[in-house]
Amino acid sequence: MSLRRTYETTVIVNAALEDADVDAVVAKITTYIENHGGEILEVEKWGRRRLAYPINKKFNGFYVHIIFEALTNTIPILERFLVLEDTILRHLTLILPQKLRDYRAKKITGDGRPIEPAPEDEEATADIAVV
Amino acid sequence: MNQIFPMQTNSNFRNNKQRVVKKKNNPIRKSRIVDYLDPKFLGRFTNDQGKILPKRITGLNAFQQRRVALAIKYARHLALIPFVAQDIA
Repeated sequence: MSLRRTYETTVIVNAALEDADVDAVVAKITTYIENHGGEILEVEKWGRRRLAYPINKKFNGFYVHIIFEALTNTIPILERFLVLEDTILRHLTLILPQKLRDYRAKKITGDGRPIEPAPEDEEATADIAVV
Repeated sequence: MNQIFPMQTNSNFRNNKQRVVKKKNNPIRKSRIVDYLDPKFLGRFTNDQGKILPKRITGLNAFQQRRVALAIKYARHLALIPFVAQDIA
């Protein structure tokens, strides 16, 4: 018996890859979820960002944020898949509470927080540099 | 007499012993939600080095402090905020 829950997973893909290859990796993850009885609700590519600290000697990463619905027992399988995928530097899968989802939606519409942080990206790196 | 006397003692008491309790201002009010994907927001609860600030400085309540601390740890894992901020002079 297993429950169906909403999850969100954030993945950092190696930014050295071409855009097409990144898309291929994302497609691989999404199809993997779907094959295991999941349902993709949202895929959001944040794009290339500077990492706050180097991971495997890489300073940049391509962030992808996926919201999906799946049975609880698919998560360990997905986690294992993400670990084995060597183009993925980091990943984090968490249950997405509806409240947090509403909060984010409100925030975007409310004060127009840029979710694709092209301008914010530079600021973020600047902040780190200053600190 | 009966009206004036307690008032006088009260005022004296306050002047001598009772401190005026300063209310901490809670930066996120009563919100119970903390978004771990928002580095700018989480940056308010860390110092220059990237350390998590204690509750007495952040002014959060215990519930929020726990959530914020957890969110900072998630964000660190995703390299959104640093574990240790580099000191670039």
